[in-house]
Amino acid sequence: MVIFDIDYIHGDSLVVNHQNSIDVAKISYPLSALRQQYPDAKHIAVENFIDQVVYRFTAFDKKYLVDAFNGEQLSPLNAKDAKRAAKYYYSGTGEIVEIELISENPPFELSPRTLPAWRINFDDFGSPSLYVSAQTGKLVGKRHEFWRTFDLMFSLHVMDYEDEDPSNQLLFWFAIFALLAAIFGAVLSYLVIFKSNKADVAKQSIGGGFNVAD
Amino acid sequence: MLLNKVSGADLMLLIKKLHKWLSLLVGIQLLLWLGTGLFFNLMDHQKASGNQYRQKTVPVHVDMARLIEPQLVLSKSKPVVSLKQISLLAQPYYLLTHQNTLYRHLKNNYSLVHAYSGEPTVINDVMAGKLAQSSYKGQGVIKNIIKLSPPYDDIPREKNDVWQINYNDEVNTSVYVDVGSGRIIKHSNDDKRFADIFFMLHFMDYGSEGSFNNVQIIVFAIFTLFFSFTGFIWAIELGLNGQYKLSFTRKKRKLALFDKDNQAIGSFEVTTNSNLLDGLAAHDIALSSTCGGVGTCGQCKVQLNHNTKITSADHSHFNDEQLKQGFRLACQHNVSEVGQLTLLDVTQAKKHLLELTHSEFISPFIKELRFKVVGDYRLRFRAGAHMRFFIPAARGVSIPQRLPEELKPHWHHIEHLEYQHNACSRSYSLANGDGQSADGAEELVFTIKIQNAANNSVLPGVGSSYLCNLAQGQTIEAVGPFEDFYAKSNSNKTMVLIGAGSGIAPLKSILEEQLLNTDKDPLAKRSIYFFYGARAEQDLLYCHEFFQLSKQYPQFKYFPVLSQPSGDWTGARGYTQELLNSHLEAINQLNRLEFYLCGPAKMMTDTMKLLQEKHVDASNIAFDQFTQ
Repeated sequence: MVIFDIDYIHGDSLVVNHQNSIDVAKISYPLSALRQQYPDAKHIAVENFIDQVVYRFTAFDKKYLVDAFNGEQLSPLNAKDAKRAAKYYYSGTGEIVEIELISENPPFELSPRTLPAWRINFDDFGSPSLYVSAQTGKLVGKRHEFWRTFDLMFSLHVMDYEDEDPSNQLLFWFAIFALLAAIFGAVLSYLVIFKSNKADVAKQSIGGGFNVAD
Repeated sequence: MLLNKVSGADLMLLIKKLHKWLSLLVGIQLLLWLGTGLFFNLMDHQKASGNQYRQKTVPVHVDMARLIEPQLVLSKSKPVVSLKQISLLAQPYYLLTHQNTLYRHLKNNYSLVHAYSGEPTVINDVMAGKLAQSSYKGQGVIKNIIKLSPPYDDIPREKNDVWQINYNDEVNTSVYVDVGSGRIIKHSNDDKRFADIFFMLHFMDYGSEGSFNNVQIIVFAIFTLFFSFTGFIWAIELGLNGQYKLSFTRKKRKLALFDKDNQAIGSFEVTTNSNLLDGLAAHDIALSSTCGGVGTCGQCKVQLNHNTKITSADHSHFNDEQLKQGFRLACQHNVSEVGQLTLLDVTQAKKHLLELTHSEFISPFIKELRFKVVGDYRLRFRAGAHMRFFIPAARGVSIPQRLPEELKPHWHHIEHLEYQHNACSRSYSLANGDGQSADGAEELVFTIKIQNAANNSVLPGVGSSYLCNLAQGQTIEAVGPFEDFYAKSNSNKTMVLIGAGSGIAPLKSILEEQLLNTDKDPLAKRSIYFFYGARAEQDLLYCHEFFQLSKQYPQFKYFPVLSQPSGDWTGARGYTQELLNSHLEAINQLNRLEFYLCGPAKMMTDTMKLLQEKHVDASNIAFDQFTQ
């Protein structure tokens, strides 16, 4: 686990972090119009979505994506837009092999908070998957086989095969026994390496003998 | 096939050696990993999070009608990647991100604009303090507010400038506020810092990078993997050799012992779940072993039934011919595998019943004991041999019974103590030299020093006390004689005997044997020098007898030396090795000398050192080591 760079494991190299700045000219649908359309909008943001400038906001625990040019509601994202977004975020060259909308029971590699989301699988090294939120069009997950293997190994590491919680009884008892074994091993190493070496030297220099005790 | 087996044995030996040295290399880190891992398992995660006094900030109502158009803000600003409406201290702000990285802790570039007025805002110390306070529910008061740049001990991964707001509460809470965005990055406190020490040890993150991808942990992880792997292979090998058999009922079985001339020594009761090395050790038959019984030193050689299975360790220490003859390592075989065993380093050792015929103090702490063999035979032995006594479990006393009146002052400082001791066995050298006479020795003489306890927490010498308190006519079992220390035969070199304290016994035996030989065959006359050290006059054992012998036999010269003599001592003062050093050159050419040593550890090591410095060939030195 320590050999693989954790940033690589997190899939940071799978995606491009686009830095396109917002083109003000693309905003012709003002906030005032948005307010009338969505009076309960909260946490409003103005951001880019691929080549469009968009409003992102929350209303009644639902997230929205609205084109800032004409006020068109883009959310929930259709498969075509999701594919476009995924290709835009993806740094690799592989083709999309599978796309699937996940609305409930997310796989363990996707946080339930991000639902509903599109899962887009690429045909590439490490079978990467990108998750794009169907509500915001944002990238909400990036996973490849290395992450999945790492995750499995972490389960093994903390001996919790359900929720990767290191505070479990199984780990406790194994840690106790392992610690005891290691301490006994340390004592044994000390005796074998340090004590017996001396005995060896003594034996060699004098050439044999036995002990006559009290 | 055979070739494969042998190289397999070499491989196994290599694996064991690797495991041994890897244990040294990774041992401490392994303990740290396990110890800190156990800590993470047990720790209070809430406490370790540092969030003891953290609270959620209350969401504020934002009047959308008052929000200025984002377009307006964007047109006035430098390029913006994202504009977000956020709340800080119950006020709405636009957070402008100019440069965006994948994670918030990486270097980002923000600016803030008030969302109603459009006024640019910078998070200053006052605002940072208020932000921190809004996230804090403890009773502490802000001590100070400091602007810091990375790296930070509390938040090692953070790459942005932060405000650090320190509270004077009992856990020294620090709140970190992002300078650019006003976001509360983290709460930290002493509990978290304590847990962080464990994380640092667990991740070997001594450079405080907040990650486990450092060189040192990679190196240790690889070594530890090898360590586990070699240990795993070894465990499998032990399992195949039947050394993991659990036996909850400690069965006993008889093991018949033979000496190397195939003479039966007797049978010993051993527990079935031990290996032969340990089983013999329980009877104080201590085979030589320096590896602790893991099959690497190859010293505990014995001969078993030739059908006995062959372990990889046996392969690496014996050739095929020897294996066919049944040579094996005692540590590699379980008691349950064998019914009889031949010792290779002992001759003619048998169990005998001895009856005490005479017991007498010859110095304040040393007794001469004389035994005769019960039965219709006498023992024959080479001078210098020793017997192993089986001391039964008994009650002991720290001060000898039947202590002569005149010796009592020497024992005044010894505390009277009665104790119970377990059965054990102890070896003592024979002190008489007539073991090779035609009918064997008439009696067996021992000089035994009663070992006093060094302090109150340890028992006095169990064996010596028991033997010295035996009454005349009492019997005791002993096995022997064991002949490891003896005069070289067919040599006419000058003998130099060096001894001190009760180490006199084998030397006296050898001396007497040599002088007896001279009586029989005057041509066998060899020069003998005897250097003997003691503390004071009363400790000089057999002094009168030796002087008598030196008069009777001109080839024998006796050099007593005292370390703490009384005023009227006219002989040599100091230690045996010092006296030897001053006389050594004068005795004879060094290569014409044979040295025989027996005495306390200090005398032995000093003398060995002296002889080594003088380049005395090791083949001309014999020694009989006794431990106190």
